[in-house]
Amino acid sequence: MGIQEQYRSEAAALLSSGEVKLVIGFGEGSTADRRRPLFARTPEEAQKFVLDAACIANLSTYLVTEGLLSDGKKVAVFLKPDGIRSVNILISEAQLKPDQVVILGYAIDKAEITALEGRNISDFSLGEEIRSHTPPPHILQEAERIEEMNPAERFEFWKAHFSKCIKCYACRQVCPMCYCRRCIVDVNQPQWVSTSSHTLGNFEWNIVRAFHLAGRCAACGACDRACPVNIPLRLVNYRMGKEVIDAFDYCAGENSSQKPVLASFKQDDPETFIL
Amino acid sequence: MTRILLRNKLDDCIAAWQKAGFSVFAPVRQHEMSSFGEVQKASDMAFDLVLPERTIKDHFFPQTEPLIKYKIGKQQIDSETMTPPDRKRVFFGVRPCDASGLAIDDPLFGWDYKDDYWFRRRDNSVIVTIVCTEADDFCMCTSVKLSPESDKGADVMLRPLANGAGWQVEAVSERGTALLETIPSLLQENSEPTAPVPQVAEKFDLEKVMEWLASKENFESQFWKDISLRCVGCGSCTFLCPTCHCFDIQDEGDTYAGIRRKNWDSCSFSLFTMHTSGHNPRNTQSTRWRQRIMHKFNYYRGKFGVNSCSGCGRCTRQCPVDMGITETLQAISNLPR
Repeated sequence: MGIQEQYRSEAAALLSSGEVKLVIGFGEGSTADRRRPLFARTPEEAQKFVLDAACIANLSTYLVTEGLLSDGKKVAVFLKPDGIRSVNILISEAQLKPDQVVILGYAIDKAEITALEGRNISDFSLGEEIRSHTPPPHILQEAERIEEMNPAERFEFWKAHFSKCIKCYACRQVCPMCYCRRCIVDVNQPQWVSTSSHTLGNFEWNIVRAFHLAGRCAACGACDRACPVNIPLRLVNYRMGKEVIDAFDYCAGENSSQKPVLASFKQDDPETFIL
Repeated sequence: MTRILLRNKLDDCIAAWQKAGFSVFAPVRQHEMSSFGEVQKASDMAFDLVLPERTIKDHFFPQTEPLIKYKIGKQQIDSETMTPPDRKRVFFGVRPCDASGLAIDDPLFGWDYKDDYWFRRRDNSVIVTIVCTEADDFCMCTSVKLSPESDKGADVMLRPLANGAGWQVEAVSERGTALLETIPSLLQENSEPTAPVPQVAEKFDLEKVMEWLASKENFESQFWKDISLRCVGCGSCTFLCPTCHCFDIQDEGDTYAGIRRKNWDSCSFSLFTMHTSGHNPRNTQSTRWRQRIMHKFNYYRGKFGVNSCSGCGRCTRQCPVDMGITETLQAISNLPR
């Protein structure tokens, strides 16, 4: 039995036994190579699930939908390692209860897709995999190229990209870590951050988001894929993640009992940035 | 016999228009994004696009626009109205759906109050469309009763020649005729055949959709909740739409000095209809998605006699969760009756 059939029947069993109220997975998309999030509440609907190498979205973002888990019931969700990593971070930030999430895990390696053992978040140990994980070569190359620029060139690079931003907030909306019920840019009494999408305003938004994600990003790439104007957000988050590893030897989402790095304190923390 | 413009005359053509006082805009690729940008020569243009990622709307209704500069002093208040630059522009290589989008929005901006910012730009712009020779999976102009060769919103319409050497040229408005009068020597009589127009299949039955939307009992239908479950509530579909026109007025600065701006707003956002009291009549994503569809295919039509969609398909093409107008309207037209 292939993984798709296996997970269809497992999802159906979870729903018919009443163990979960909802399964979040993938269905057919509007074109042959697209998959779209699919929500199944009945065993019949679970038969529509598709699971193949095109299922790259990080569905954990739906777990923080307002009110979804407030009834204490469980939800099952199809997750790749980056999604599992996201769940770890969300639990460590007290946004999810570990027992409310049943994980139907899978991994994609090129066109191959395999099922992951375990259903509870505690069954997965990602630590080593995350530590040893290197981003795809094209990201490393791009990152190196930017690293080699002088500050003025780097500023011009980001200015060109951020000028394109239209503040649609797709990056924020698809991100599992952007769970704030009211984002700082939406706080309008008073309006702390201008809503204008001019270059300055776009810098404000993108820098606010980069800082808020430092040490919290699961590197799933959802923001980068969602950006309709193709801002290379992967580079921003990769760089911030690297900074946190270098400064604190901390890699977000290795397990769910981590303390959020920028919300905790150790006596031997380096304080190189404090003048 | 018809008139044609050869591709190798395009540089001369741009120069002639510039000499006549026009700035020339066309689809360009810049910083990993396609949009309309100012060009100086033919090689600046990106001709291989089915459609640029950004719409031409950006150049008539920009994402942020300064309206008034103000300064409040002890004795007096100074304010200065900021008007858009009065320059003449040619938009070359616009797709029929984007040009239609402008025509669809005209009545909205000229209804009870004539929006000077929109019309000053409209009146100074000439739209040169190129009939499509290619369509992708997301194109849906025929579904909203337009077509890859629609001349709606166009001043001049170009049909690509089958041999790829240029375009057949036809003026479809007085403004278009006047534009062609600036380049008489660059046009030649010719009877070369034009390239075939792509077949864009109709994806839904628009009449059935409009009828369903018009029925009051469907307003509270479970359909809206089910179809919008995966919507993440970003503004990508609205900001890339050639007809979406909602905006918000914001004062930028402080109590004593600043700039009043008109910024794009989106019905997808949770703050869109939030009242000062904290009450929000559209407090769920499903009610916001319903608003978007109802606005485009019911309310707008009721007020201006035309649907607020030109079938470009960007909403689906760029949606991070593969939603869009096409899927929703398909689902409505397939509902059991």
